[in-house]
Amino acid sequence: MAFQISLNFFLAFTWMFLKNSYDPITFFYGFLTGLIIIFVFRRFFSARFYLKPVFAIIHLLLVFIKEVILSNVAILKIVLKPKFDMKPGIFALPIEVTKEWEILVLSSMITLTPGTLVIKVSDDNKILYIHAMDIPDVEESINDIKNSFERLIKEVSR
Amino acid sequence: MKTNDIILQACTKIVLFIIILFSVHMFFAGHYEPGGGFIGGLMTSGALVLLMLAFDMRTIKKILPIDYKILTAIGLLFAVGTAAGALFFNVPFLTHAFGHVDLPILGDTSLHTATLFDLGVYFVVIGVTMTIIQTIGEDGE
Repeated sequence: MAFQISLNFFLAFTWMFLKNSYDPITFFYGFLTGLIIIFVFRRFFSARFYLKPVFAIIHLLLVFIKEVILSNVAILKIVLKPKFDMKPGIFALPIEVTKEWEILVLSSMITLTPGTLVIKVSDDNKILYIHAMDIPDVEESINDIKNSFERLIKEVSR
Repeated sequence: MKTNDIILQACTKIVLFIIILFSVHMFFAGHYEPGGGFIGGLMTSGALVLLMLAFDMRTIKKILPIDYKILTAIGLLFAVGTAAGALFFNVPFLTHAFGHVDLPILGDTSLHTATLFDLGVYFVVIGVTMTIIQTIGEDGE
């Protein structure tokens, strides 16, 4: 993916040198032309065509924003509830992602969605220990959320 | 007890470069906007301290094999050299020259010898800060 992006930039610069005009608009046209060429020859590379991960990142971002809004509303409901009937607790979540940045993104997203908080990564990077604000009824839906995040992150780096 | 710092380390790998870039921007902004050698140097040493917090000392020594005392000396030499350079042109000590220079690629650029003086300040601040922190933080190995 990184190689394809750098190749695309290289093609755009080459286009600028061929056109002999060095402004952003020429660069943009060169970038577009290079993108089309790389798309036609996409099976030539070992990795996927690099726009797919880019779209996956955008998809992940949109899902993340939606989750943040929904869980903030849920927290608001809990805060305004007069009766305290929560059961906080810590549970272990086995994760399948292995790369450093994947773990970083996943744990940041889990922490940024209210109600859950990553407190520790196990030493072999296989388990996240998560503090949940309300264990019994949320555990299932939390696991759903985590599975969706994890699935989308895997989609990015596949 | 050794804890797993994977999140801190992965974050550091990205954030470090942003901090360094911002400190360089601060260094060059010193003439027309708030900024300059001192704050740029402090911010660069802040990035290096973040590196030291996330990784251990031996890794830092491998990444940046710099003797910070020598860096301080180089910075002072820059400052003194810029100041003493004025004496060659029969003007008082610390007189700065500036003007527009036609560089081959960048074209018409306005240069000022105060930037070199500022570079000296930058190096001295990095050198002194890092020397203090390394001296305090040595674990006696």
